[in-house]
This record gives sequence, C-alpha cells and structure tokens, in this order.
Amino acid sequence: MNGRPFYKSPGFVKGLSRRSFLLKAGLVTTGIFLGGCIRKLNPKTAYKNIKGSIKGPNAKAGHILRDKLPLPAPNATRTIKTLIIGSGISGLSAARWLKKQGHHDFELLELEDHVGGNSYSGKNSVSAYPLGAHYITIANNEDTLLTGFLQECGVITGYENSLPVYNEYYLCFDPEERLLINGQWQEGIVPDFGLSADDKAQVKKFFALIDELKKVKGVDNKFAFDIPIDNSSTDDKYRALDLITFKEYLHQQKLTSVYLLWYLNYCCKDDYGQKIDKVSAWAGIHYFASRRGKAANAESNAVLTWPEGNGWLTQKLAAELGEHVRKGNMCYSINYNQKGQVVAAIYDIAKGITSNIIADNVIVATPQFVNQRLFKDIQRGVDYSKLNYSPWFIANITVNRLPQAKGAGLCWDNVAYDTPSVGYVNAGQQTVKITDEKRVLTWYLPLCDHEPRVARLAAYTRTYEQWMGIMMPELEYMHPGITDAIEDVECWVWGHGMIYPAVNYIWGANRKAAQKPVNNNMFFAHTDLSGISIFEEAFHQGIRAANQVLTIYGKQPQT
Amino acid sequence: MNKKLHALLLISVFVVATCGLIYELIAGTLASYLLGDSVTQFSTIIGVYLFSMGIGSWVSKYFEKNIISWFIQLEILVGLVGGTSSTILFLVFESVASFRIILYSLVGITGILVGLEIPLLMRILKDRYEFKDLVSKVFTFDYIGALLASLVFPLLLIPYLGLVKTSYLVGILNVGVALIVCVSFKKEIKAAVYLQTSAVISVLALTVGFVYAGVITNFSESLTYADTIIYSKSTPYQRIILTKKGKVLRLFLNGNLQFSSDDEYRYHEALVHPGLQALPNAHNVLVMGGGDGLAVREILKYPNIQSVTLVDLDKGMTGLFKSNRMLLNLNKSSLLSPKVKVINADAFTWLRQDKKKFDFMVIDFPDPSNYSVGKLYTNSFYKLAKGVLAPGGIMVIQATSPYVAPKSFWTVDTTLRSVGLHTIPYHNYVPSFGEWGYIMATENPVYKKPAVFLPVMRFVTKESLNLMFYFPKDMAKVKTEVNKLNNQVLVKYFEDEWSSVL
Repeated sequence: MNGRPFYKSPGFVKGLSRRSFLLKAGLVTTGIFLGGCIRKLNPKTAYKNIKGSIKGPNAKAGHILRDKLPLPAPNATRTIKTLIIGSGISGLSAARWLKKQGHHDFELLELEDHVGGNSYSGKNSVSAYPLGAHYITIANNEDTLLTGFLQECGVITGYENSLPVYNEYYLCFDPEERLLINGQWQEGIVPDFGLSADDKAQVKKFFALIDELKKVKGVDNKFAFDIPIDNSSTDDKYRALDLITFKEYLHQQKLTSVYLLWYLNYCCKDDYGQKIDKVSAWAGIHYFASRRGKAANAESNAVLTWPEGNGWLTQKLAAELGEHVRKGNMCYSINYNQKGQVVAAIYDIAKGITSNIIADNVIVATPQFVNQRLFKDIQRGVDYSKLNYSPWFIANITVNRLPQAKGAGLCWDNVAYDTPSVGYVNAGQQTVKITDEKRVLTWYLPLCDHEPRVARLAAYTRTYEQWMGIMMPELEYMHPGITDAIEDVECWVWGHGMIYPAVNYIWGANRKAAQKPVNNNMFFAHTDLSGISIFEEAFHQGIRAANQVLTIYGKQPQT
Repeated sequence: MNKKLHALLLISVFVVATCGLIYELIAGTLASYLLGDSVTQFSTIIGVYLFSMGIGSWVSKYFEKNIISWFIQLEILVGLVGGTSSTILFLVFESVASFRIILYSLVGITGILVGLEIPLLMRILKDRYEFKDLVSKVFTFDYIGALLASLVFPLLLIPYLGLVKTSYLVGILNVGVALIVCVSFKKEIKAAVYLQTSAVISVLALTVGFVYAGVITNFSESLTYADTIIYSKSTPYQRIILTKKGKVLRLFLNGNLQFSSDDEYRYHEALVHPGLQALPNAHNVLVMGGGDGLAVREILKYPNIQSVTLVDLDKGMTGLFKSNRMLLNLNKSSLLSPKVKVINADAFTWLRQDKKKFDFMVIDFPDPSNYSVGKLYTNSFYKLAKGVLAPGGIMVIQATSPYVAPKSFWTVDTTLRSVGLHTIPYHNYVPSFGEWGYIMATENPVYKKPAVFLPVMRFVTKESLNLMFYFPKDMAKVKTEVNKLNNQVLVKYFEDEWSSVL
C-alpha cells in the first residue's frame, strides 16, 4: 500500500467538523509550504534519475479510522475468549505468552498483511533490510523473561559462569560504529577526533556521571533507571528528573560542550525521534543508565542485530502463533454489549466485508492515537493530545559500491556529525559471506525540526524527488560521488513512528491512566504506555497484559 | 617527379622499416613474456618472421598494376594487423591451447605483409632512380630504420607506453604512411577517395585502441610490479595478476603476493605434509582457499587419498589454474584430477551447510588484511570447521608470519584453542614471504611426528620438522585475545604489525 496523502481520499470532507477542517487545512498548507521551502533550497532535479519509490503503513486503513468512512454493516458474528488487537511487538509478545501459559482461545488481529508493527522489514536481491526498529542491546541479566525468550529463539546459546553466551552470528560484527567529524571518519560515534581537551573532558565527565547513575538505587532499593521502565525506583529524587527537559538537566550539570550536546541530541533522536529540548531528563538519562547487561562473550551494551533488523525478532515471537494470527483484518470500533462482553467490529480489507467479534476480554495492543478512534463510548480518563509521536523517514538505498572516504571504513552504524539524519546502517553487516561491492544502506531521518503534527503532514505531502532533495546532499557529503552508485531507493514514511517521552509523560498521571484496564476485561499493551519505544518495553507490555488476562482465568501470573 | 615526393617515399621506406622491426620485437617480447624461455621464443619468432618476409617478397611479383594503390592498401593492412596483434594475443592468452597457433599465425601474416612492402616500394621508385642509387638509398634507409627501432623499442616505447600501446602507435604510423602517400599521389591512383577514407577510419580505430589500451592491460598498474604482468583480470572478488620474470611466475591477489613459483614448494610442502603424512588412513580432504591447486598437488602425492574437495570463492582463480598451460605445469594439473571436486562458493556459507566429515583439512585463506577475510579467522568459523573434522583428523591453517606479526599468528592459535581444539604451531622459511607460520589443530592431543616423509619432498624431512616445531625467542608465544566476529582483533593486529614492515 502506498503512503498516499490522505487529503486525496474521497472521504476527506465528510464527517469533519468545521474547526478540525480549518486546522487540517492550515496544517496541510504549512506542510506544502515546508515542502516548497525545501524544494527552493534544492532547485536541482539531479536526483530525477535515481530510481525508487515511497511506501508506508497501510494508508487506506488509516483513512477509514481517521475520517470515519462509512463501512457496510457487520453481517457475521463470532465469539472467542480473548482478542488481541495489533500485532506489533507488544501484541505478538502478549499472544506468545498466552499460548505459552496454555491459553489457546485467542485471536490476534492485524490490519497489515504482515505482523511486526514498526519492526517491519523488506528484502531485495542484495539483502534483507529493516524498515523500522533494527537492533536490541544485550538483556539486563535480571530480566529473566527476556533472557528466557532470547534463549528460546537461539539468541542466547547457553550460560558460562552464570553469564549468558550470545550467539556470535547475531552480536553486531566488528567494525561497529564510525563518525564523520572534522573531515575524517573516526572509529566510534562519541566525538573524539579534533576535539579540544576541554571538550574531551566534558565527554568524559558525562560518561562518569552515567556510570554513577547506572548503579544508583532509590530508597526502595530499586534501580533508579531500569528496563522495563516500571521496574524503576519510585524515589522522587530521580522521578523529579521527568519534570525538566534533558537540555535543562545538562545545563544544570554544566555540560555545555557543543560536541557533547550534539552527541546527546543524536542519541535522543536515534532512540526517541526528538532532540534534548523535547524529551525529559529522566528519559534522556534512561537511554544510557538503564542497560547493565553482562555477557560471557560480549561487552556490556553490545548490540544484537540482523539484516532484517527487529523483523527477525518478530518472526521468532510469531513462530508458534500460526492460525491465531489474522492479517488484513482491522478493528475499527470497540464497544461493550449488555453482558459486559467486548464487541469489536472488524473490517476484512481484502474482501471488503465487516463482521463482529464478541470476546470475553481483549488486549488492545494498538497505539493510543488509534485507540481514541476505536472507542466511542468508553471513557478512560486519558488526555490523548498529551501523547506525542515522532514521525520518521527511512530510506533503503541499494548501492553498487561505496566511494572511499578518509579514515575508518564501512561500519554497521555510520553517522555524520551535525547532520539532520542519524546516519545509516549497513543492512548486510551480519553476513559472513565475502560479498561484492553491492550493499543496502538503511538511512534514518527523524522528522524533528518542527512540531510532530506539522512535520507529519509535510512528510505525507512530500514527493519522491523532494525526499531525494533532502537525503542526497547529506549522503553526498558523507560519500562524494555516491549518487552515481545508487541503484534503487525505497523510501518509507512512518507518520507516527514512535512515542516520545515528553516532559512529565513517563511519571505523569496520563500514562498511568492509559495503562489502567477497563472493566477488568480490557487491557492495554503498547510502548506508548511506557513512553519509550524499545523492543524490551513492548515485550514486557505484552506479557503484563497477557498476565492480566490469565489472572481472570485463575492462572498465577509468572514474573 | 619533384624532390618533395622523393623525400616522401624515402621517409616511407624509413618508417616502414622501423615499424617492421618493431612488430618483430613486439611479437618476440610478448612470446617470451607469455610463454617464457626468451631464447627459444625470440629465435623462433625471428625465424618465422624473416621467413614470412621472404614469402612476402616472393609474392610481390604477382602484383602488376596499380602498385601505389596496392602499397597504400598494404600499409593500411599492416597497420591494422600489427597494431591490434598484441591486444589479440593478450586477450586469447587465457585459452592457452590455441595460443601458439594464433601467435605464429599473426607473426606470419605480419611478416608476409612487411615482406611485401620494400619490393613494392622499390618498384614504385624504380623509374625515378637509377638502379644502383635505388638499391643504395632504399637499403640505407631500411637499415637506419632498423637501428632506430632497436633503440627506441627497449629504451622509450616499452618503459613509457607498454606493449599494447606501442603496437597501436606503430600501427598508426604505418597507416599514416598510407595516408600521406595517398594524398601525395592522388592523381596517379584510382579510387583515391576510397583509400583515403579507409586510411582515415583505420587511424581513428587504432587511436581508439591506443586510448583504451589501459582496459586491456592496465599499464599504470604494471609499474607497481617489478616483473612483467602476463595476465590480469578483475573478478567480482579480487584482482588477479600473474607476473613472470625469467622462469619465475608470481601470483598476486589484490596486490598481495600469493606464491612465487621458485619457492612455493617450501610453503606448500610445509602446509600439507606435517599433517597429512601423520594420517596414513586419511581418505577425504577438504581445502578451503588455495584455488591455485598447489596444496592439492601436494595432497595428491598420497595414494590413500580418495577425494579432495576444494572450496574457493573465485571461479576466475580456479578456472585460470585449470586451463593455463604454464599454471597446469606448476600445479601438475591437480585441479583436473578425477579425485578433485572444485566448488566455487563462499567458504563460511558453504561450511554452515555441509555435514560431510573430512580426515584432513587445509585452510589456506589470504591474510586477514580486511574485515571480510578476517571473518574466516574467527572462533565462529573454527567452530564450524571443527564440526566437519572427522575423529582423529587434522586441520592446518596458514597463519601469517610469526616473525613479522607474532600477535597475529598467536591470535590464530588462541582462537583455535578457544573452540576446544589442540594446536601444533610451526613455521619455516619461504624466501618470497620470509619466516612463515602454520598451525595444525586436532580435537584430541593425538598428533605424532611422522618418522618418514615421501622421498620426493624437497623441503620437509624428519630433521627439518624438528626445526619447524621449535619457536625461538623472537617468535615466542604472546598472550592475545580471541578473534571473534564482533571484535575482529586479528585484522587490527595484522594491520599494525605489517604496516611497520611494508
């Protein structure tokens, strides 16, 4: 399905209030204006010859929900015990857990024709490649639910001296990271080459601070920063950090080096899709201080990755689910019947028919911006407008060679200092084969220079050539002459790529309200209920919700 | 007939003579480059060439009318055949079976054409000079031309242009003579326009050849090699270069020397025999890398060997060592043996799939100078290798120089040990490489030094083996990390250690 701009949809005007029409009209105008600006900056059409396409999540389904397009009345009804809506990581994790605990009467609905949510991936003749999330770090050792799963799917192959041994085909192959800075590619992404002694001292100071915060525990003897987030200490001393931005925090700590601030901006963009002035200090620190994993055969913080990114993990989570998964089926409304059962209206996208599922209980594993469209009469006390999602642009670039540059050679992660993107990864990093020069590079651009809503609309209106106008100057800066080496570009736009942890979201009232079950038979699982969009959070969200279901049936939740 | 035309014709004699000799020199040089044995090559080429010139002179009497027109056509033809001859020879060299036939045919054709030139020229000039003057002038210019050719060829043309470009240049000169004669004698010849056009087209074609000669043999590349490049090819994986000096052949992959034919026996004997001689019951052998078939040649010396599986990435390599006469002499046609199965595949990927066991394994990859090759020296790779090693079997790994790169060498040892293998490191001196290292690895500590070796051996004997197993202090074991896919320490050590030498 193409990411067609929604305003072309015939149902656009229908069912819109005047106010929301004006707002949308304004946003679209701004989007077009922004697109135009970018075009003016890059008047060249030199990128016309680069073959490629723009894709994205199922836009048609999005329109149906957003614009409440009329659908035929449901003509069939079936009854099940448990319904899971959404097969992103949290939905898959919930389904896997139910099955593992012997609960078999459930269905997992997915509107796309594939599972995995934003861990989706693609493939061409050169390599498989990620279209979203693309790595995890080694697990915290006390997180036995996660290490259990990793062992189940062969990521952990065994234990030595009670430390996990990770599968060496999945640990990121060396060389891992490089940064183009001051005219040269240096090894590693933390700026170093050409930095003054003062800048280097500040970088050192920051990491010393992080080392402290990694170990620190609150009065409740829990780690201040942990994964999953809800395992972190309730101590206000640390939770107060959620009330200021990461930028303010760094200022308080007198960390002012432009190089260090660039690096921290890069990290926040990479993990949250926003810069340090938008994310809370607690979240900014969490990125660094929550990972304490130790392995028998890898360094702490070691990265696990696959050519198809986290798409590999989705296949493992879905491995045993078989007939439980129903793809191409979207839920477009959820209600209660008089018996207190959940009634979900389902639209079969391929067949164009609708039906009802009556379930005793439901796990809603969709993001809250979708949920607000599904619920008509269900009140949760959630202010949906306070949940902020970062839009992303991802391009998979197939090149037949990579022009040489000064310094370190191609790594897994390749970043250029002070550029809008967060760089590219070499999708084929984990291949052991000696290959020719052909490669797929996955280039990630968080659209964080404007308000998310504006950036999202601008992204929807942008043409392929305009995207090339944004991407190519940066790629040419990294690798002069690369334009001639490009064979194909597959663009992918995630309008709502991930939740970002704005100030006071993680420990605020809104998130708490959103996590709360409804009527003890409607449960929620999604990373936007954690506030940070990482695999581990989604994995635990799913298990937590599945345990809530199991409790109804008198099964002792495993932890 | 004015003076200008006289001069022109005599200059033609001079140019034609120079070109004629240069063609002969080109053919001789090429033949000795490609086939070796310069004395034989030069004498046979000169012989055939002179004999063909004789044929040309004899045939010249059958040309009766339109001598100038014939002469012009002849010059164009000489230019085209001579100009493209070295390109043709370089291109067909790979399919060696027909190489000599093509070589001598080209020499013959050029000789006949060149042999026609002077008689025809003399007949053009015969009415313009007295006979004694004619003979005196023509032969004077002929011999001066020869002298010039013999000096210019080795001193200027070969060092600055290379063989292929020289051929094209000389071809252009020949056709140039045709063009000038054609323009000057426009009134005396029929179809002047046709001849002029052909000459111009030929000059253009040869100029294109001259400009693109680099594609055929990369001349700038040849400057970086001490010896003459006789074969070069870029495959999807590497650049293969074969050089020759005297009787010595050298193979380079991506600029790194793989073997020198005069001392490769030291390397390959050391690689194969300490292990294989200790396995009298070995039947199945696996060779990974080593697409030159030289290790296979050593392996096939044992009658107990029933099958050898050679896994080499590059079809360009194994193909060359299956077809080229010189290389077949060197590897004793080992890759053509019915016992040998050649598989062109990536060793890592292949090893992950295959389940068959091997009694003896030779792991002979290029040095770990980049991250791609570095993967083939990791614990993950050795785990797979261990998986296909039969009980009681031995694998041997080429492990770079323990003298120049002790950390690299001992990293391979540490890495092999990390997957539970027992190692027997050893080394010997290979003049082209210096002091070189190998490591045998076994699943159980069962290795016993063989008491006797095959009598055909030139280097490995019971006595030399004792020296090979002994590591003096300057190559003594150092503590290193395990080389893994996620740290690739070996590539870093290797780069550090060799960069201080090269």
